[in-house]
This record gives sequence, C-alpha cells and structure tokens, in this order.
Amino acid sequence: MRPYVVTDGRAHPSRNTFDLVTLVMAYGDRPLTGLSPEKRRLMELCMGGALSVAEVASHLRLPVSVTKVLLSDLVDSGHITTRSPIPSAQLPEAQLLQEVLDGLRARL
Amino acid sequence: MTDHISEVMVWCLAAVAAVVLVLLLRQHRITTTVRKRNAALEGSLRARDAELQHLVAVRLPAVADASGGPAPLPGLLDDRLAGTDYARSLQSVMELFQQAVEKAQVKADMSAKAALKASMRALQGLAHEQQLSISEMQERHDNPDVLRDLLEIDHANSQFGRRAQAIAVLCGSWPGRQRAASPLIDVVRGATSRIRDYRRVQVHSQIDIAVISRAVEPVVLAVAELLDNAARHSQPNTKVEVSLQPVHNGACVVIDDAGVGMDGQEVQRAVAWLSGRRPVDVARLGDPPQFGFPVIGMLAARYGFSVSVDTRSPYGGVRAVLFLPSALLTHLEPDVSHAQQEPAAVPAAEPRPATPSAETRLSVAPLHAGALPRTAPERPGPATTRRGSTSPPPAGCPSAAAGSRPAGRPTTGPPPPPPPPHLPAALGPLRRGAPRPLGGGDRPAHGRLRPGHPVRSCGEP
Repeated sequence: MRPYVVTDGRAHPSRNTFDLVTLVMAYGDRPLTGLSPEKRRLMELCMGGALSVAEVASHLRLPVSVTKVLLSDLVDSGHITTRSPIPSAQLPEAQLLQEVLDGLRARL
Repeated sequence: MTDHISEVMVWCLAAVAAVVLVLLLRQHRITTTVRKRNAALEGSLRARDAELQHLVAVRLPAVADASGGPAPLPGLLDDRLAGTDYARSLQSVMELFQQAVEKAQVKADMSAKAALKASMRALQGLAHEQQLSISEMQERHDNPDVLRDLLEIDHANSQFGRRAQAIAVLCGSWPGRQRAASPLIDVVRGATSRIRDYRRVQVHSQIDIAVISRAVEPVVLAVAELLDNAARHSQPNTKVEVSLQPVHNGACVVIDDAGVGMDGQEVQRAVAWLSGRRPVDVARLGDPPQFGFPVIGMLAARYGFSVSVDTRSPYGGVRAVLFLPSALLTHLEPDVSHAQQEPAAVPAAEPRPATPSAETRLSVAPLHAGALPRTAPERPGPATTRRGSTSPPPAGCPSAAAGSRPAGRPTTGPPPPPPPPHLPAALGPLRRGAPRPLGGGDRPAHGRLRPGHPVRSCGEP
C-alpha cells in the first residue's frame, strides 16, 4: 500500500503536536465505522495502552510523517488522545550516594 | 469434230468447277472452324490474363490485408475457369502466399513482442529501484512539504510501473513478483494506488476474504486497468464506486462509473478481448494503443478469473464485474502465538488482529530505560549522516546501520537498509522487526505469516 493512498494524497497533518515520543491512547468507546483499514489497525494497536508515535509508525510500517497525518485525523475525529512522554525518573546523584555509603560505613 | 471438242471442254470445265466448288466449300468450313477455335482460344487467353491480373490486384492484397479474421477471401473472376488446372494453380499460389504472409506476421509479432517485453522489463526494474529510493526518502524526511512532493513522485512512479507492467504482460511476461496472500480490500486499494485518479475511487464494504498469493499481482493489475478505464471515461467530478461482494462460489469486485458508457460495438469488442481467446497482435491495438482490455483478458484466461463489462452501472456508465472463483480465495487466520514468538513478524495489516496484551506489547517493544530521548531530536537535514546505532542488533540480524559495522569487517553483499535517521537508536530493532515491503511498494499489506511461510530476513535487500 503506497502512503499517498493511506493519507488520500495529504502530507500535512492537521495539527503539529506530534513528535516521535508523543504517546497516543485510543478511546475504546468510539465507533470504528467509516475508518480506513490503516486507521482501524491504528485504533486496535492503541486500545491496549499508550504507544509512542514512533512505535505506531513502526507497527503500521508507514513513514513517521505519514503516520502523523493519520494520527492528527484521529485526534480531530475524537478517536485518540495524546500525552507528552513520561519524563524518566531522576536518579540520585552519585556523590550523594557515595556520601550515604561513607556515612553508613562510618556508623557500622 | 469441233462440236466434240467443245463438248469435252464444257464437261471438263464443269468438272473442274465442281471440284473447285467442293474445295472452296471445304476450305470455307475449315476456315470457319479455325476462326472459331482461334476466337475461343483468344477468349480463354484473355480470361486467363484477366484472372491473373485479378489475382495480383485483388486476391493477393486481400490475403495480405486479412487480419486473421473469418472474412471470406475473393474467388475467381471468371467461373468458366473453375475446376481447370489453371484455377487450381492459382489457388496454390494463393495458399503459398497466405502461408508466407502468416509466417511473416508471426515472426514480426514475435520480434516486436520480444523487443517490447525486454524494454518494459528494463523500465519496470528502473521504476522498482526508484520506488525503493522514494520509500527511503519518505522514511528519512519528516518535513510535510518534502513529503508532499515525494508522494506526488511516488504516485507518478507507480503509474509508470503499471504501464510498463501491463505492456510486458501483453507481450507474454509474467505479472511480476509473487506476493503474500492479501485481503481483497488491500488488493483493491493496491490497484487504486496505481491509477491517476486514485482519489476518486471509493471502496465500500469490507469482506473478510483474501486472495491467494499466486493471484494477488494479476488481480491487482486487472483491477487497476478496470479502475483506470472507469476513471478516464467519466467526468473528473464523479466518483468511481467499488464494492466487494461475496457470492456463492467466490467473490466479486464490482466497479461502477458515472461515465458515458459503451455502445454495442464497443461492448462487443471489449467482450471479445476480455474472453482472452482473441490472439493479441501488438501491432493492431490502435493508435494510441488500447492495452487495457487485452491485458485483463490475458490475465483472466491465465489465472482463472473472469471479467464482464456488458451491464450498465446505476449511474449510467459502465459496470465492470471481476469474478474471483473460490479457488483463488482464502481466509487469513490471525495467529497470536506466532506474534509472541517472533515479534519480527508482527504483520502490518492483518485483517482483524487480536488486541495485543500488555505482555505482547512489551515483548514487541524491548526498550531499555533511557532509550527514548526526553525531547524529540532535531530533524536532520538531508546532508546529515547518521551515526551507527548503539543498541546491539537482535540475534541473527546484521546491524542495520552501515556505520555500526565493526571497523575492518568486510561487508558482503548489498548493505541492509539503515533505519530512518530520525528514529532513536533503541527503535532500530523495532524498525528492523517490521521490514517494509520491498519491490512493488504498493504491495498490499499481508496477513500474518503462517508457520512454514518464509520470513524475510531483516537484511534482505
């Protein structure tokens, strides 16, 4: 399937709120009637939980830029919602850990 | 005495006169017979001359112009010659000439087809290479403006490939690559992607039927030709409606256009072509050559489907019906365990996949902590080169990025395609796990591979 058929010839997503790691989640209660096979597949992918844009593109085997067009359509039609990525946890600094270790060694 | 002499003289004269008279009469009769015979012979000679001229001027040209059809050839000019040796000799000349013409035509047709086939195969190869480059560029560039241009180039290239493919098939070539069994809806959409007015095609009804692998490409090509015909013979502001219908012993692809329709003669000609029984002479396809129906007829005869165009669509145009017998159809079964064993073979578009569980999801996306950058990487320009992926490639898979090869290790064979540069390194395996279809590009996404089905290795070019 060539990408221009998937997007019906459109290359510009209707919104520019996606990057590779934006998480997308599907609303499970939306009807899938009238959606193209790729959008259906996308909805089925996202039903199980949040997926990043890059993962969705990879599963659909479509270029990321093409996937963004589909995603923005689905956001417009209220089928999916987006969330910015969860920041990775702040690791305590090595120096602090070292001080704790030294303190414990001094105590014991 | 003198009386006696004079009497004798008289008798003698009388006798001489009688003899002369008899001789004259006989001579006259002979002359008349000879004259008649001469006249008859002259007539016959003239008739034969005229017959020979008729042979050269009318009968032989008629043989040369005959298009192999059942049209009767002109016979003798003069029926008096019928059954003579002369007429039989003329008939032998006709037959010899006919054989010579047929032989020359077959030879010319074969050499024309061979030349066309070779050039079209070469063009197909180029279109195919170009499609790979376009696909790579679509992966690489994230700019919508660039993507828009790439989509246009991609579309033009698909049409170019289809035209070359159709002519090659008409000249006796195979339709092309073997594809995996695909859902009928994807087959039809694949066909849609190869025509100019793909936006005007609307596919209705989704039936859960797939086309067997052997027939995918021929059906795609036949449907593409029908859709192209429908779109080209109807107004640009009208839609071409496609519906897929399961029937008792197979399935139908019904294509309706709102165009001008075809008159009786056009329908007859189309039916003759679509039957696949009419021999295709590439030199007689009209100007500009009409390849569509001959190609469809050829494919239909070769693969066992059938096409009819002799009904009217509800919109006043033509209704084309492509009937696929059950022998060419199959069902794709979702196979969940397979996906968990081999995340690499997760299909892109199986008909109705089970919703992946969280475990499946995790197994499919083995991301380690910190793999995802906190912010989106800046879009690389076209000139930036990608550094090698830092994540170890999955077992059995060559490293996807050429740059990540250990230095000094010789590369064998063509380098595997690098993942798109804008993907984080950790997504490399994911990308490689879902190899993009190569080749036809407009390949309909296939269903889940069954065990035993050859799975393409990740580095396959």
